[in-house]
Amino acid sequence: MTLALVETAAKIAFVFGLNIGVFAPLLGWVERKQSAVMQDRIGADRADVFGFTIIGLFHTMSDTIKLIFKEDFIPRGADRIMHTAAPALALIPALVAFTVIPFGGHYTLWGHNVNLVVADLDVGALFVFAISSLAAYGVVLAGWSSNNNWSFLGGLRAAAQMFSYEVAMGLTIIGLVMFYQSLSLVTIVEKQNEFWHWGIIWHWPAFILYFTCAIAENKRIPFDVPEAESELVAGYFTEYSGMKFIMFWMAEFVEVVTISALCVVLFFGGHHLPFVTDAELISGLGGALYPNFANLAAMGIGILTFIVKVIILIFIQMTIRWTLPRFRYDQVMALGWKLVLPASLIWIFIVGVGILSGIMPRP
Amino acid sequence: MATKIKKIRRNVTLTLWEQSYVPEILRGMYITLEHFFINLWGLILEFAWSGREDRKIATVYYPEESVTPPPAYRGRPVLVLGADGNEKCVACGLCEAACPPQCISIIGAERANGERYPLRYTLDGTRCIFCGRCEEACPKEAIVMSDDWRNLCEYDRSKMIYEKADLLVPEEKLAGRLAFIRDKAFGKDRY
Repeated sequence: MTLALVETAAKIAFVFGLNIGVFAPLLGWVERKQSAVMQDRIGADRADVFGFTIIGLFHTMSDTIKLIFKEDFIPRGADRIMHTAAPALALIPALVAFTVIPFGGHYTLWGHNVNLVVADLDVGALFVFAISSLAAYGVVLAGWSSNNNWSFLGGLRAAAQMFSYEVAMGLTIIGLVMFYQSLSLVTIVEKQNEFWHWGIIWHWPAFILYFTCAIAENKRIPFDVPEAESELVAGYFTEYSGMKFIMFWMAEFVEVVTISALCVVLFFGGHHLPFVTDAELISGLGGALYPNFANLAAMGIGILTFIVKVIILIFIQMTIRWTLPRFRYDQVMALGWKLVLPASLIWIFIVGVGILSGIMPRP
Repeated sequence: MATKIKKIRRNVTLTLWEQSYVPEILRGMYITLEHFFINLWGLILEFAWSGREDRKIATVYYPEESVTPPPAYRGRPVLVLGADGNEKCVACGLCEAACPPQCISIIGAERANGERYPLRYTLDGTRCIFCGRCEEACPKEAIVMSDDWRNLCEYDRSKMIYEKADLLVPEEKLAGRLAFIRDKAFGKDRY
């Protein structure tokens, strides 16, 4: 009992540390530096500690310190409770969605079975979508409670956009669920043990559709109409300052990580190395001689593989964000309802036919 | 050589494949990724190998380093101090007449040997528009546009009225610009 508690606490600490401690601050730096290098610039590198700049990493720290000490401003006429609650409502779902994502496999350490997922839900995929749609509340409340026209418009746009893409995003993974015959993300990852069973092999159209929907759901460029700088100042978080402002940014970055992690789990085989199954990895590391050590090493390799895959997908997302211009609002809606939704329905039909006719062999 | 005619489609409806945005997105991402990796490699080379030479990024860390403008650059106008220690200016007043914003004012005088020289030469930096007409009008190559683009700003306008002592610059420091204006006036590609 105690062991299970310690294990769960360790996993929660790992997920929290990875998201809030590593990825969220680091992505601010990545966004700056990657965009700079892409656009033939150097990027921010002036903040230093005793003359050391470590390629601009101190900017993240100085920004955080600055934002902590800034005045926390609530505009006159704003709904104080909702205005304060909205950033938390945006950030928490993004974090909670990570609980059902397996960042490793099953390992036996000193007779204790370790499953590297915080909550092994049977309906993990549904849980992710249910929780991530809750993030819309934070955004809409932020827009509504600010008592500002820009915020209000941004909140309305965000509501419409997130609702539209929610539908399509749920439908894009139905094909995968049919293919792997499970809604549990742990089972889906287990079935991708062999490289030819990875989701991307058969389901690359679903990957493109899911990725589009996920970026739209996260309100990043090219779908950043709710916070369009040139039209709405900053959209739904125009009236936010200090730590509340940074919470919206953290929510966005954590969602970037969550999207990437979910893509890895659904399409890129989770923690699996390509062409090496878990059993082969453990026996290759000397599983017969030192089972505990081999399991521990395989666990480390699995987590590392997962993180590397997530980082590659984050890089792709950042590249998209700094490559494409913003869609017009009606184009966003037209793309969502007229293209992505029918396409995902057609893909479900194709997968159904493929499975029944035996063209797509189910793992 | 036959002229290449590139056909451009205008106001056409996009095909379904183009409407999916996928090909253009991939093309755009290819361009940005190409820039990213070339620049990243250049930064790594700069850090680890050869310094600034192989880098495609043109950024200059301004306060620590700065660029030297090419000789064609028109910076702060200065008076040329000859090798004999006298200014080359003979106070003829042509620059004064040529100056569009009338920022130059000269009071001439005569030396014991009969040579004329400017007793006072005042250039109002608040009015100067850096057009270079004074340089073009000068028959003695006595006033040229230097490559000095710093120190042009002051908190007090009265400090921006340059006297002769502020303007004199030794001839050898202006060799590039002098060669340039000679080439401009007498060279093969004069205009």
